[in-house]
Amino acid sequence: MKPELRRILFSLAVILWAACLLYFYGSGRIVKYLAPDFRPIALAGGLGLAVMGLFNLLTAFRQADCGHDHGGEEHDHEGGDMNPWSALALMTLPVALSMAWTKDGFSAATLARKGLYDEAPSASAPFFASVLPPLTMEEIESSHRRTTDGYLEFSLMELFFATGDRELQGLLGGLEVETEGRIVEEKVRNESGTRMRLYRMFMTCCVADSRAIPIVLEFGSEPPMLPENGWVKVAGTMTFPEEGGTLQAVLNVDRATAAEVPPEEKFLLR
Amino acid sequence: MNGDAQQDFALAFLSILFEGAPFILLGTLISGFIDIYLPKGAMDRFLPKNNTLAVMTAGLLGAIFPVCECAVVPVIRRLVGKGLPMSCALTYMLAAPIVNPITALSTWKAFQGQAPWMMTGGRMLLGYLVAVGVGLVVARISLRKVLKQSLLEKIESAADKENEECGGCCGHDHSHDHDHGHSHEHHDHGKNDDDGRLIAAMRSAQKDFVDVGVYFTIGVAITALFNTGIAPGAMWLDGLAGNPVAAPAALMALAFILSLCSTSDAFIAATLAKFTWGAKLAFLVFGPMLDVKLIFLYQTVLKRKFIVALGVSLFVVIWLASMAAQAWLIEM
Repeated sequence: MKPELRRILFSLAVILWAACLLYFYGSGRIVKYLAPDFRPIALAGGLGLAVMGLFNLLTAFRQADCGHDHGGEEHDHEGGDMNPWSALALMTLPVALSMAWTKDGFSAATLARKGLYDEAPSASAPFFASVLPPLTMEEIESSHRRTTDGYLEFSLMELFFATGDRELQGLLGGLEVETEGRIVEEKVRNESGTRMRLYRMFMTCCVADSRAIPIVLEFGSEPPMLPENGWVKVAGTMTFPEEGGTLQAVLNVDRATAAEVPPEEKFLLR
Repeated sequence: MNGDAQQDFALAFLSILFEGAPFILLGTLISGFIDIYLPKGAMDRFLPKNNTLAVMTAGLLGAIFPVCECAVVPVIRRLVGKGLPMSCALTYMLAAPIVNPITALSTWKAFQGQAPWMMTGGRMLLGYLVAVGVGLVVARISLRKVLKQSLLEKIESAADKENEECGGCCGHDHSHDHDHGHSHEHHDHGKNDDDGRLIAAMRSAQKDFVDVGVYFTIGVAITALFNTGIAPGAMWLDGLAGNPVAAPAALMALAFILSLCSTSDAFIAATLAKFTWGAKLAFLVFGPMLDVKLIFLYQTVLKRKFIVALGVSLFVVIWLASMAAQAWLIEM
């Protein structure tokens, strides 16, 4: 294969990757894929790939002396291990198919695999405990806003990890709180049919390593009709009963309303 | 695949690709510019002449040139082509993703409240010792058993040419003293030459990016398939958490499948609350040295048989070392 054609094929593969990264960043969809720290890196990567691909595409037909003495032999600064057409196909087809298939979220089955219905954490999660707010009621009240009807606004993550922190349980137990997340059917210990489950996804780097952060919603009667997997704001009284041998974070719901999708998946709100 | 499986695969695939692609680009840009601008043998000047000391020094180079495991493969591929001894290159490749300040910081941060200094120090130390051990062993093995044929031919061809050019000129070894006919320092590269070299460097970087990108894509696709179907594995893992012998092996298997970046894997390890300190140490040392995507990336440099032997050796050594570390910790 002529070197010029090989350069063009390689440039096209690189430009497609660049376009994919830049499109997801520019459209804002990147927030569904990468944690905040990694998003600027993805942007820089997309720009860098675009520069490299376009540079090589525009100079594909130029003669370039690498400056080495190769003694007239053909050298391999550009010789690859693989047929360039195969390389182009392997680099672009999975990306193109994934772009076509993705819905920016996991299916219900994979959410279940990523901890949606797992037991709440035991009291041995010191890393997460260390990032929670200080443990006095005054400081909790001063670091959380109060709604107009008197509920303290909490992130779902704080409520979830409180099951692993007895001191925080003591403060939050019986407290009237409001939080938000996505609502789904409750499949565990819900014989009476009065429960739903509220969750958000927590990612450390990318969504592939994300875990579901769920709590139980107890309505006391038949739950209201809310869109499955839709975003809701719920308010009620927080409890931490022992069920099935482990502590559960259960919110006894006073009100639940459909909510706008948050612009960012921010899990540590404060 | 049904619709749900396609959706899950696509999400996991793209997210890992987005996370890793910038780091591969960084590595291949460095490798491309090394290819064109770095005089052959230049790396040797940074390393002691003594083989053992050179390997030990190579294990610390990650502190100066911090790269993750994705970025390090194209870099060492070029460095080997430039004459860096394979034992040093392999030591750098295995150690750099662990023995570097970014990984140290992320490990320390992730393990707050769980003896962060001990985990960070233990990870750096074990990673360094294992990498140096591999380097010292490889120093005694023929390159033919280690290097991929195409890379080996390139090195041998360069060596033959070097011998022809240097042979008989003065009868002693110039390998550390001059640049074997490249003459970068002795003639004037005008602006056109500079442009030409920039273009050549960018082409070389792009070629490396595509070479690595192909294998990375395959590795990420396999990782995404495992990642989205991990539930049975998770239940199996939980059952092994209390077993002091099986737990480190199980977490090493998990690290192999998940193929996490060394700069971020500590955040996953820190959440594995049921597992012992030693098992987490095994996860954090083995993962950056061998995982699904690295199997594919290593094939751009190493022979398949050698990769298998390396993988088995790493698994056994890190497994035993992590159990010994755990036993020592209990005794304390």
